[in-house]
Amino acid sequence: MSEATSNNRFARLLAGYFKKDWSGALLAVVILAIAIELVTDGKPFFHPSNLMTILNNSAALGVIAGGMTLVILTAGIDLSVGSVMGMIAALVGYVASYWGFPPILAILFGMALGLGIGLIHGSLVARFGMPAFIVTLAGLSIWRGTGHLTTGAQATPKLDSVFDFFGRYNPFMPLRQAFRDGSLPDWLMPLGSWVDANWVAYFRTFQMSLVIFILFFIVLGLVVKHTKLGRYIYAIGSNEQGSRQAGIDVRLYKTLAYVVCSMTAALGALMFLGRAPYAKSDYGQMWELDAIAAVVIGGTSLFGGRGSVLGTFLGVILLKLIANGLTLAQLNTFWQMVVLGMIILLAVGIDIVRQNANPEKIKQVLFAVAAASLFFASIHPIAQFVSAQLSLLEHSHSASLLAAGSNLAPTQATRLLEGDALAAVQAAASASWIYALLLGVMVVLSFLTLARPNKPTSLMAIGLLVAAGILLSLGGWPGVPVLALGLAALLGSLYTDSLFEQARQA
Amino acid sequence: MIKSFSKLAIAGAIAAGMTLSASAMTIGYVTKSATNAGWIMINQGATDAAKEEGVTLVTVGPAFQGDLSSQLEVFENLTAQGVDAIGVAPVDSSGIAPAVDAAMAAGIPVVAIDTGVSGAEVTSFVATDNYAVAVIQGQEAAKLVADGDKVFYVTGDQASSTGQERRDGFMKGFKETRPNSEILEVPTKWNSDEAQAGVEALLNSHDDVKMVVNAWDGGTMAAKAALENLGYGAGDVKLVGFDGAADAIVAMDEGWVQVDTAQMLYQMGYQGIKTAVKAAGNMVVDKRIDTGTFLVTPETSAEYKALIGM
Repeated sequence: MSEATSNNRFARLLAGYFKKDWSGALLAVVILAIAIELVTDGKPFFHPSNLMTILNNSAALGVIAGGMTLVILTAGIDLSVGSVMGMIAALVGYVASYWGFPPILAILFGMALGLGIGLIHGSLVARFGMPAFIVTLAGLSIWRGTGHLTTGAQATPKLDSVFDFFGRYNPFMPLRQAFRDGSLPDWLMPLGSWVDANWVAYFRTFQMSLVIFILFFIVLGLVVKHTKLGRYIYAIGSNEQGSRQAGIDVRLYKTLAYVVCSMTAALGALMFLGRAPYAKSDYGQMWELDAIAAVVIGGTSLFGGRGSVLGTFLGVILLKLIANGLTLAQLNTFWQMVVLGMIILLAVGIDIVRQNANPEKIKQVLFAVAAASLFFASIHPIAQFVSAQLSLLEHSHSASLLAAGSNLAPTQATRLLEGDALAAVQAAASASWIYALLLGVMVVLSFLTLARPNKPTSLMAIGLLVAAGILLSLGGWPGVPVLALGLAALLGSLYTDSLFEQARQA
Repeated sequence: MIKSFSKLAIAGAIAAGMTLSASAMTIGYVTKSATNAGWIMINQGATDAAKEEGVTLVTVGPAFQGDLSSQLEVFENLTAQGVDAIGVAPVDSSGIAPAVDAAMAAGIPVVAIDTGVSGAEVTSFVATDNYAVAVIQGQEAAKLVADGDKVFYVTGDQASSTGQERRDGFMKGFKETRPNSEILEVPTKWNSDEAQAGVEALLNSHDDVKMVVNAWDGGTMAAKAALENLGYGAGDVKLVGFDGAADAIVAMDEGWVQVDTAQMLYQMGYQGIKTAVKAAGNMVVDKRIDTGTFLVTPETSAEYKALIGM
């Protein structure tokens, strides 16, 4: 009896969780974080100082993505944010370095520029009815060009330390400094010595970037939830005609969304300057794409009216987490690009399935996760076999060209293998072929389970994963931990139907 | 947008060149970037050479750094307009090859500047040998640390030949004498935000790092900012640069940077355009012109600064 109710509560919690727009992004962040932790064994990915570094490096892009969320919620888009950020960063640095503006005035000047640019974009979109895509595409080019023109595309000298308060400044620094000088009052001494002792492990990366980033999202979340601006932006995005008839000043609130977005680009510029070596007009290239990606990964619809600020926060973290984790794992750059794309597909895929809330689809996604985990776990033996075979193929092709008497290009000549190298490749191919073949068949079978998502196929897939695990450990290949993710997904697929049933009743 | 501006610029400049003096040559110059500090020096050399030779220089570039498609477009426009010769710094060594082939077939000499073209003949290739300089960078960097010390290497774009050669050269030069040092790589696409975030990420888990070596000086400045952000001072972790950019030399004076291998950037642009003018005048030019290097250390920095007019 009590077990049934707790099951019921779990089902309701789960259903409630997946009703949130940001659930896909959170799930992707968690899955990815665990995967990176498994891959980077020994190197502290989950360590607080590393997590804070990720937040620090997300901060500037993050606030801009926050502004972008409002624009996308109105069913608009702002392609200019990267250029606006770059121009404002360059100009703020320029007036502070060459015109003798005191830092505070330079900062106000930057925010005012953001306000002005937002008014221009907003008015063109809301009053003149020009498509947002076109207006901001023009902005992308105009503001980048203006930034280069006005500053000659040159870097400024190092900026005043006031700018550090937007970035690298560490709020614990004065405490540590005072402790080291011995000027700390006695009652604070224990705290000072504790901070000093744990400086590198915990406090060094606690910087203003992440403080502003988190505060900004709390404020933005409150604004979106509890003010007229937030409610009207959702209303306009889901039904602009209806909002107008309901008496909302659509022009005003649409303009405001663009103003907020450009001002967040200005804030992002200041935050970037707080960490960067100097100010320069080529900052922020392609940031518009990263910001839009973060918003979409966070579950906000490009058609407007649906989404959340928290989702965007998670979306930014996801993007930066990938870059950080893959660098820690020392994964090849080209693989990083491939993995990034796949993770974006995963996050958005979860979101789509979540929306049509169909148990069949959900089971298919879980099967796909299991099949993908089997694929990634098997990648070592398969890759070794395939690359050895390819080397042999390339060698024999180059050798036959040579035999036919044609001249080899230098890149073709490097494909020819000498005696030792040839023997090594042949040995690698013969050592891995049986594993590669069996695992390859298992991967194909596991993808076939997608066609019929039911209980027997779940059990069969579980069997496949267990067999693959045994095979991998027999051959001494790495990758077994990755299978755990797939097994978790398959166990989940066994309970999907009953959870759905319970959630429906509840 | 930028592309259409450059079309207008080509048309305008060619018209201007024709009206000013019927005999003056028009040389097209396809640069890689108008905003990167190193490229500003190369472009300046190109402009000065054109002025000296009394030819009209039409400078065009990609819409943003690294954009092959827009560089191809401006290159093809130059060919279509019938300029006398083209100097080009390819964004992508093999991507530009078909356009280079077409220009050469149309009888327009093409001089590759800084980055070579793979898969097509060019009239001449004017550049520092990136690989050779990177070997020197690796050998000099090795002198700064003991064998077994941990080192970060900030790479350039591994899809470009410049990035590959600099990385391979560094690895060769460094490992000759420091085979037991662990080298952790920070991958970038010549982008300083990636360099900074990557160095910060690695610093957290590898506190025992002794040196950060960079494939270009944008990376050097980013690595310096990352170190500053985490409270390191000048010289705590050694920095080695590549390019001899002005800001890295300033950082060397402050004690941050220990070695920088400078390419003679200005010379690359200058000699590139000079060679293009010669080729356009049907003179014989060398297929490969090496513009040389300068090893900048705190001892030689004064001499280097005088050389580049800093």
